[in-house]
Order: sequence, then C-alpha cells, then structure tokens
Amino acid sequence: MKTIYTLLIVAITFTLVACNKETATTQTDVMNSMLTNKNWYLDYSITGTSTKSYVGQSTYFVTYLKDGTTKDSDGLTGTYSVELIGNQSQIHVQLKTASGNPLEVIYNIISVGETKLVLSKVVTTGTATQLYFTNK
Amino acid sequence: MSNAKKLNILKLNYRLALMLIIIGINFNSVSAQNLTIKQKDSAFLINSKKERVEKIKKSLAKTFINFTDNDISLYGSLDLSKQIINDNSITAPLNYIYNSINSNTYQGGYSGGFRIDGIYKEKHFYTLSFALNRITVGNYYKNKHTLSPFFEEFTHFKADNAFTTLSIAAHYKKLLPFNSLDKYKFYIILGPSFNYKISRISNENLINGAGNRSIINGDFGAEFDNKGYYILFAHYKLGVNMTSSTVPVQLNRFEIGMSIKAKDLF
Repeated sequence: MKTIYTLLIVAITFTLVACNKETATTQTDVMNSMLTNKNWYLDYSITGTSTKSYVGQSTYFVTYLKDGTTKDSDGLTGTYSVELIGNQSQIHVQLKTASGNPLEVIYNIISVGETKLVLSKVVTTGTATQLYFTNK
Repeated sequence: MSNAKKLNILKLNYRLALMLIIIGINFNSVSAQNLTIKQKDSAFLINSKKERVEKIKKSLAKTFINFTDNDISLYGSLDLSKQIINDNSITAPLNYIYNSINSNTYQGGYSGGFRIDGIYKEKHFYTLSFALNRITVGNYYKNKHTLSPFFEEFTHFKADNAFTTLSIAAHYKKLLPFNSLDKYKFYIILGPSFNYKISRISNENLINGAGNRSIINGDFGAEFDNKGYYILFAHYKLGVNMTSSTVPVQLNRFEIGMSIKAKDLF
C-alpha cells in the first residue's frame, strides 16, 4: 500500500513538474527561433507612400545567427538581440561604422515567421520605413 | 576401490546432504521465528491496513448502495479528431502561412483505459471511464490575417497537432427497446467528460496565455452490448477549453472502440 502511495505521489509530482508555463522569454525565444540562421532577402520597402520592389533582383539581405551576431550583404557585422519592450517586439542591432564608431539600429518587428519577416525601422525624425523580407 | 569403501563414501555423502538440508531448514525456521520488533509491528500493521481497507470498502458499499451490478471492463478505441481555433486575441507579431498549417480534416489517434458499467437505483444505466488518449488533430483556423499590401493569409498562432491526455467520463446510458433484449442490447449514451493534457505544450502554444491543458467535453453516442461478452461503442465528443484562453479551441472527436469485461480477460 505504501509503495502504491509513493508511486502515486511520484506520478503526480512528475506530472506537475512536467507542466510547462509561459515565461518572460517565451515570446522572444519563439521569435528568435524563427529569425535565426536564415538569409532574409529584402523584397519591398515602403516609406510613406513610396514603395520600392526588389523582387527578382540581386538585392540586400541580412542574416541573424544563433550566436547573437548579424551580418548583411553590404558587409556590415555586429550583434543583435530580440527584445520585448512593453508590448512591442524589437530587434536591437549593435553595429560599427566604417570609421569604427558604435551604432545602434532598432527595428520594430511587425511580423515574423518561418518564411516572412516585416520590420519597421525606428527613427527619431521623419517617416519610418517598412521592410518586407522573405528567406526564399 | 573395494565395495565396502564405496559404501562408506556413499553413506558419508548421504549424511552430508542430510546435514545440509537440516541446516537449511533450521536457518529458515530461525529467521522466520526471530522477527524484530519492527517486523512484528509491520506484520500487525498489515492486518490493520487490511482491516481498514475492508472498512473503507464497507463504507463505500453503504454510501454507494444504489450503485449496483458494477462490472469493470478494459477498452480500446480509435479516434478521429479536429480542432477549430480562434486566434483573434493573440498580440505577438508571429505569422504562420495559412495554407501550410491549416488542415480542415480529421486525424487519427487512439485511446485505452477502463470503464465501470453499472445500474443506479436498479433502473438507470451508467458508465464511468478512465483513459489515456493519444490525440492527433487536424487544425482548422477560423481567421486569416493580412498585412497589406504584400502579405496575405496568415495566422498568428500555430496549434499543437498531437498531444496526450488523461480523461475521465461519466455517461448515462438509455436502453433502447429493441427485440431480443436478452441477447443484444442497444444503448444511447450522454454525459460529460474531462481531458487533461499531460504532454509537453510547445512554446508557440504558450504565447500570450494561450496554453490550456483542461478540456471539458459533452459526449453522446451509441453502444451495442453483445450478450455481455463485449461492448462496441461509437461516441462523439465536443470539447472546449475549461478555463478562459486567448485562443479558444473547439475539439471535435469521434471515437469507435470495444470494451471487454476484465473478469473475462484475467
């Protein structure tokens, strides 16, 4: 009888411990898994009413690697992090300019998936540019 | 070697064998007799526990005096399942291409467990069942989202399409008045059931408080009892999240299976 009780307690404990719940990093973890280790090719950019298409062209792409580094087709390299500020998901990119000065660029994540990525560059003045990427 | 010597060696062997047997028996009897106080106590406690179990059984029999003719059966079933998903409340900026994850079909799974069939107040038939279910579902997403001008038809949520649950069900059975009731019995069944997901929920399914383990179902169906040898059953279960969720899910399941009395099996 004691053995049965023990087994029952172990089973209940295991079930409760096995329960996984949402944590502070759940959303960023999922976004990171969708974002990393892919070449994201720029298809469209929209600034205000001006839309540019790069579909079918040899165009700009950016890669976010799992180790937290990033590089783009222009040769810029740096580090990045996905953050949730309030309800806004963002990519914070730390770059170095040609002259070696540090530069931070922030993108709001409008939408991220396995094959589609839409970002909006955060600007202090002027109109923000929306960037539509695909990885195919 | 002379015959006398051979005889002596044989006698010696017999004596040795007899001695070993006697030592063995003595050792066993000594170890059985020399119980420690703790062992004596536990021996007494075992009886006490048995008595307690008997008392509980008698008490339960008194409490459930109206629940009679209980038969325990083991059962197995095959399931077809589909869930309808409403992701309107998801705020995370995730996209899943609609056509790649939407499958408005029923997928196959299986269940196994045991059930207790009995009669309440000698006229109301009932079943209590307990099962472990492996559910594979087709997912139908109610909403298609768009991000104009270039991005159309995606969802914000991707539901898990396979999970394991523990379930408990209480069904009322109504005997249908067909001929040959002494041989075959047909029932319609109605009642609630409860599923609890015990498998891991993916991170995608936890976002924005979407994760929900408890499902409450309304069940109805039909059962065919073949002379008490076995029962064939077909149930439909309509389930919803038991607690509020940002992604309400409606789980539809068809279950076809067979149960056999445990006493006939063992």
